[in-house]
Amino acid sequence: MEEVKEEGEEMDVNDCGGGGLEVVRVLVVDDSPVDRKIVEMLLRRSEGIFDVVSVDSGKKAMEVLGLNEIEAKPPNHDDQKIDIVLTDYCMPEMTGLDLLKAVKANSSSRSIPVVMMSSENDSERISSCRAIGAEDFILKPLQVKDVQRLRTYTVPIGPMSKRGSKRKLPMALIAESNGAEARPLLAKVAAFGSAVFLTLNFWRSSVMSSSCN
Amino acid sequence: MENASGLQRQLARMKKDLFDQGYLDEQFDQLEELQDESSPNFVEEVVTLFFRDSSRLMANIDDALQQCPRDFHRLDNFLHRLKGSASSIGAAKMKNECTSFREFCSEGNLDGCLRSFQKVKNDHTILRQKLENYLQLLRQVGPVDKASRSGS
Repeated sequence: MEEVKEEGEEMDVNDCGGGGLEVVRVLVVDDSPVDRKIVEMLLRRSEGIFDVVSVDSGKKAMEVLGLNEIEAKPPNHDDQKIDIVLTDYCMPEMTGLDLLKAVKANSSSRSIPVVMMSSENDSERISSCRAIGAEDFILKPLQVKDVQRLRTYTVPIGPMSKRGSKRKLPMALIAESNGAEARPLLAKVAAFGSAVFLTLNFWRSSVMSSSCN
Repeated sequence: MENASGLQRQLARMKKDLFDQGYLDEQFDQLEELQDESSPNFVEEVVTLFFRDSSRLMANIDDALQQCPRDFHRLDNFLHRLKGSASSIGAAKMKNECTSFREFCSEGNLDGCLRSFQKVKNDHTILRQKLENYLQLLRQVGPVDKASRSGS
């Protein structure tokens, strides 16, 4: 079974995407080898923004996140810091919902955004995931636009909030990456744009949730 | 040069047939869009993974249908995964037949399940053969720009 990065492998943490953006490290969790491969490629094709760790089970995801009860260990800067979790909902043994609950229940991982994926457009499923703290719920098969918006979940809106790992994407850096170096006004516009985007996204998801069944 | 363009036309025709006959949908185009110079065999790798995974799932489905009493919930779990994989590579006919199969499952309709499974197996066999031919031709043609390969 092919993996982009297996747990324990060293990663090039100095790798930066185009324009000096820090890389966002995504933990992909999916028991389907086909879906894992496709999502990995979608992320890799996103202009070098993402660094991908993929596992085939919720249990392995817990290990990567340092949430495994058997091997409980305090957070360590040498650990693979994950900026966002992208997990399938339906998996054997430990579902994506179970993983979401575990991530949000633990103080060391609670701030990591979790995005759910599913082939089922189930409004109850979507609502329950959001209620527990999922950032988004994406229908499979994933498209390029779905992957592109993952970046926004690692970007703080307004005052800097403690989200994901230290590998955050400050608004000023995003503005700089678009060739707008030292342009505070552009940074404010970018922040406003992201807020509008997320609001529209929320309403779109709400409409989708109410129209399924 | 003429031979190369002839092969490209053949490739495009083959792909168009796969779409027109309903075996593939636009999701397959998405996979081809993802392939590039750094991953020149991406589509073939995904297709290979799919047939390996789907063959395993179909063997599980076969076992589940043989068991007595039938566990339709377990059967549905396998079908959910098979349908998901089929959807991910754009295997439209298989995906649609899996949907019908799941409906029979939810009704506990064994006869319907058996008929549907036979169709899934047929679609799987035909798709495998057609995609093997397509990928074989694709290897001959080599890297081409996406516009010239488009046949859908």
